[in-house]
Amino acid sequence: MTIKIYGSLVSRATRNLWMLEELGVDYERIDLDWIKQENRSPDYLKINPAGQVPTLIDGDVTLSESLGINLYLAQKFGGGVLWPDDDAGQARCIQWSVWAAGELEPAVYPRVYEFVFKKAKDRDDALIVKLAERTLPLLDLMEGALSASAYLVGDAFSVADLNVAGVMEYLDRSDFDIAQWPKTVAWYETTYGRAANQKVQGERAPVAEAMLKRIVEHSRSEG
Amino acid sequence: MITLLGKAASRAGRCLWALEEAGIEYEHKPVDYAKGEAKTDSFRAINPNAKIPALTDGNVAMFESLAINLYIAQNYGKGSLWPDDAAGNSACQQWTLFAATELEPPSAARLVEFIFKTEENRSQEALDAAAEKTKAPLDALEATLRDRDYLTGDYFNVADLNVACVAEYLVRTKFALSSWPKVNDWITRCLARPAFAVMLDIKATEMAA
Ligand SMILES: N[C@@H](CCC(=O)N[C@@H](CS)C(=O)NCC(=O)O)C(=O)O
Ligand SMILES: N[C@@H](CCC(=O)N[C@@H](CS)C(=O)NCC(=O)O)C(=O)O
Repeated sequence: MTIKIYGSLVSRATRNLWMLEELGVDYERIDLDWIKQENRSPDYLKINPAGQVPTLIDGDVTLSESLGINLYLAQKFGGGVLWPDDDAGQARCIQWSVWAAGELEPAVYPRVYEFVFKKAKDRDDALIVKLAERTLPLLDLMEGALSASAYLVGDAFSVADLNVAGVMEYLDRSDFDIAQWPKTVAWYETTYGRAANQKVQGERAPVAEAMLKRIVEHSRSEG
Repeated sequence: MITLLGKAASRAGRCLWALEEAGIEYEHKPVDYAKGEAKTDSFRAINPNAKIPALTDGNVAMFESLAINLYIAQNYGKGSLWPDDAAGNSACQQWTLFAATELEPPSAARLVEFIFKTEENRSQEALDAAAEKTKAPLDALEATLRDRDYLTGDYFNVADLNVACVAEYLVRTKFALSSWPKVNDWITRCLARPAFAVMLDIKATEMAA
């Protein structure tokens, strides 16, 4: 049975699409329009009680949490490649994924809201400064890790890199300059630039542009 | 042997709970971040993130409390903390990330108001904002627990532990859970576990020292 991913090209589902493309696994993507509240329909709430996307269905496995879905996919289809064979490597893939979710995402995601959804004059400058302060030590940590090895877990690309880069893209999208962290820059370019992700991003770009217009109109109409 | 670094009155308490659940021998070094002990070179060699908790086990060195708990479950809790089937395993990872992204930010924000501030300095605004943000994740938990006693089925595993150790902040900050009766029952069950009580004892002993 084909894997199903619920979520649009402009959502955290792209993290999973990137992973699926890396793995070369067949999948079907099901768009849910959150402006129309399709993610709150009773049928959808049955598979994801939080009413969020992404959700993955693979046979009798139904899963949410974008980064958790990627761990699952790496474990199931990426053994020895995206999922290392050794205990220590596996532990660190999980560590970096939880770090991306718990430390990195809260520091960088709110920037997107400020930079992408708001006009320059409406931005919350104090918040932007606070977020930047939180982000610096996180980038220092990455720079340290990437000074010791080419990728976050040793010298090969793994789910750890994919999950961290999938969250770091928010910095990229909100004009955060990471030049001060050269190893991180080089790592991000190679990682985010991977063919599998570029395919997803290429499909996303036009959809995102159209979506952004709708979101802006939608939020205006809500006042 | 496993060494856990970090005093119990910190996120290291989550990992002590997991270690006690697993029932294995371990060494505990109550590194105290408030005394700068997490910023030393020797600590950074173990955890470049310079925070507690950190864990070492043979050639494994890692940080992130909830990831450490998954490691403990996978390596020392097969069939109990760590389910035997792939669906159960992935559900444990899912709930762990849910705890980290959805539940921890608002719960930790409440805890900061409660434990680092005196009552008169507490920001009601911050407490209310955090309370508002906990509603959606609590709804998701309530819906999940409607037909089962634990998050992934009928027994306690690392999914419950990792969500409960974060939800415990809500209990500690007297957040009224009455609108989420299943969650209320579930967290009461989780926090009644003997291993949790052992962790609280370790914490009390350390704090008295
Ligand atoms: N921590 C979750 C967050 C999921 C999430 O917030 N998804 C957004 C879209 S990217 C959503 O579904 N929002 C709709 C809602 O919360 O109602 C993950 O990483 O999967
Ligand atoms: N996401 C990390 C957070 C770790 C963390 O913030 N630990 C605190 C103590 S609970 C700490 O060491 N703080 C010292 C500091 O930030 O300098 C985890 O869950 O392990």
